[in-house]
Amino acid sequence: MSRMPPLPGRRVLQHYREGRNQRLLTLKAIRESLVSVAGLVGRPVRNQKGAEIGDVTDVVVKWVGDDDYPPVTGLVVRVGRREAYVPFDQVDKLDSDQVVLKSARLDLRDFARREGEVTLVRDVLDHQLVDVDGVKVVRAADLYLAPVFDSLRLVGVDVSAQSLLRRLGPARWRTRPTPDKVIDWAAIQPFGTPTGPAGDVKLRTPHQGLRRLRPGEVADLLENLGRTARRELLSVLEPEAAADALEEMEPRELNALLQEAPAEEAARLVARMEPDEAVDALRELEPEDREELLGHMPPATANRLLRLLDYPDDTAGGLMTTNLVLVTLDETVAAVRRGLRDAQEHRTDIDAVIVVDDEGRLIDDVTLYELFVAEPDAKMSDLVGPPTPVTIHPDATSREVVEALTENRGSSLLVVDQEGHPMGRILADDVVDSLVPDQARLHFPKLPA
Amino acid sequence: MASTNTSPERTADRLTGSPRRQHRGRRLRRYLLVLGPGLIAANAGNDAGGIVTYASAGAQFRYRVLFLMVLITLALVIVQEMAARLGAYTGQGLMSLIREEFSLRVATFAVVCLIVANVGLVVAEFAGIGAALELFGVSRYLSVPAAAVVIWGSVVFGSYRYAERIFLLLSLVFFAYPIAAVLAHPDWHMVISQTFLPHFTATRAFLLLSVALVGTTITPYMQLYQAAAVADKGIGPDEYRMARADTIAGSIFSNVIAASIIVATGAAIGGSGPLTSAKQAAQALKPVAGAAAEKLFGIGLLGASALAAAVVPLSTAYALAEAIGAERSVSRKFSEAPLFLGLFTAQVALGAALALKPGNLVNLLIGTQVLNGLITPIVLAFILILANRRSLLGEAVNGPVFRAVAFLCVCAVGALSLVVFGQTLLGWFGIA
Repeated sequence: MSRMPPLPGRRVLQHYREGRNQRLLTLKAIRESLVSVAGLVGRPVRNQKGAEIGDVTDVVVKWVGDDDYPPVTGLVVRVGRREAYVPFDQVDKLDSDQVVLKSARLDLRDFARREGEVTLVRDVLDHQLVDVDGVKVVRAADLYLAPVFDSLRLVGVDVSAQSLLRRLGPARWRTRPTPDKVIDWAAIQPFGTPTGPAGDVKLRTPHQGLRRLRPGEVADLLENLGRTARRELLSVLEPEAAADALEEMEPRELNALLQEAPAEEAARLVARMEPDEAVDALRELEPEDREELLGHMPPATANRLLRLLDYPDDTAGGLMTTNLVLVTLDETVAAVRRGLRDAQEHRTDIDAVIVVDDEGRLIDDVTLYELFVAEPDAKMSDLVGPPTPVTIHPDATSREVVEALTENRGSSLLVVDQEGHPMGRILADDVVDSLVPDQARLHFPKLPA
Repeated sequence: MASTNTSPERTADRLTGSPRRQHRGRRLRRYLLVLGPGLIAANAGNDAGGIVTYASAGAQFRYRVLFLMVLITLALVIVQEMAARLGAYTGQGLMSLIREEFSLRVATFAVVCLIVANVGLVVAEFAGIGAALELFGVSRYLSVPAAAVVIWGSVVFGSYRYAERIFLLLSLVFFAYPIAAVLAHPDWHMVISQTFLPHFTATRAFLLLSVALVGTTITPYMQLYQAAAVADKGIGPDEYRMARADTIAGSIFSNVIAASIIVATGAAIGGSGPLTSAKQAAQALKPVAGAAAEKLFGIGLLGASALAAAVVPLSTAYALAEAIGAERSVSRKFSEAPLFLGLFTAQVALGAALALKPGNLVNLLIGTQVLNGLITPIVLAFILILANRRSLLGEAVNGPVFRAVAFLCVCAVGALSLVVFGQTLLGWFGIA
């Protein structure tokens, strides 16, 4: 057991050196095959005879469609005082420090953005993007193009500070890619919607990876994006995912988001949130705004939220969710399970089903565990029995809620009215949230509120 | 705005008379009238540097700078309105806009200017804390480092919200100035004539003080704050009219307070030459507080300085982190937000360290405002260029008349700064 690790002898060092050389060679190869978009700006465009006819101002790519790596469709070239468009098929050679055209003559067409096209320098470089794999909002410090199959494509975005420094330096540095912190373009959700000829907004297909994100992660992204990008991200999310993310946002940020969104859209989002979270969001709004949002909701939802709003924030009524699964004694376990399947969108609010009598009064709270281990053809009446669940009335203080929840030893607590009708359920995680209101996610205070 | 578009799907939230707009209007009006971003932003000008500069102006030239204050107010309204409009129509902060709209080199130049101006401000705030506590007999070599530690700690460890309220409350003392100005029975005839008739003196001292007045009233920080606050509150084109009213009212209000500081100080110690100590400046509050004037002044100065000493580095760090590409909502762990925390810490440390420079605190305070004044025209030029861009603001772009007036303002401020900058340079080489 006392064997020492071998000392780094000559062979180890040699091996290391070879490995290092290999890496450097690879890096060099990568560098040489990449073209830096920031470096390309201002570079000369020459015709076949080598005469300079202008300089590059922008790179146009087409990014509608399923391509992970958008192909370059052309260049914007400044010729004298005009901005001309050069289709990419007229380009013979695109190096990092010059562009050579195929023909001696250049057909000068004024640049006009076509449908589905995006100008990289004006619309993407230095703008915000979402790195879906790393779940971060980034700003593009540089963009890299590389030949893929037969075309030149946008392959990566550089987010390193070195690239910023490089761009500040002399032109010689600017063209040299520094691919140290590069994000694969396939992992990027870009913004800045390409417009159609009539100025109509064309939504790109959302990045598939967005679906895998947790609501809290999407909330972080929404908080970090500028307004336009945030509205765009919100519009490409599934409505359900958007509502889940909103539940996780900081009250202040959520308030601003609801404020800047058109009322109909804000109402739609709030209506899809879990009732207790929706009520919290509505509480933050001014009365007139609240009424307006409620007015845009389906009457049933609005009424339910209005009733919850009557309870003060820090009472049981203010903490509870009204998404309940009510079943009767004679239903079978299989039928209840089917019912649960249909209530999928409220899954985060359900940890038990409530058994009620014919008058709708509480008999027992049956946990999902009990349901899971029960035989499918068993009746609910077989599952009920002591101990009876601890319940609380809607006006109870948050302190009483904590005590009752501890006593109940479950993950939630039922709220019932005086006659024993179940009104709602208080989930342990909401109690935790209310106990640590501002410390839940440690953020710096923003500008003075 | 009041379009006559009658297509049904647009009517709902585009038309002026829709219930939505009315509701929002009422809500915002109530909110903005209480504490709008415009009011807060403009009153950021009445911080330590502002109070001392206004007091010095009153002490040195009595009411002679009041006419200048009218011009500065006009410029302030124009600039703050542009900043608010950029915030409302783009939903972005100024730093972020500058990064996106200008080439990286130009953007870097703007950012460096802003950092220099803001570090200057932080120095002024810590100097203000030092000067305030000296009135209570505490050495600044003790008070300034202690204040830096307390402010840094309360922001990083999270009890800042409470500290902020206390500071804000303390700084309300300065609302005693308008009362003091009236009770001091100034020569109203002279006050009014010097407000509305130009009275310039072509001396070096007057020019230097003019730049300090410009720098302290139109601080680059205020435009940064204005745009960010409007954007962060979700105020969009629909609600912009209200935000504009708030911005204009806030700018005028803050300058009325500034003018009352000048009048009160001018009436109390006018003509006694440049201000040399906080004790002297406190004399202006005598009509209100009598013998307690010094203590009252000290309390107000402490509150105003401490408030800004945390807010300025914090919001500068936010803006910079955003422009560079780091997160906007930053967590408190150093490992997760090294850039943001580093920027914040560096500003506080540098500001406090420079405020310990031996010499007269009042001179240091006014010096930082001159520095701000030299940088102001550069930042104004950036804002003007942004607000002139139709590609950015669409219909809300500067109109031809506005553009001309704003251009004149920037030129005037720029010319003033250039003259003082040139004089200072020549002074360094011993020529002038």
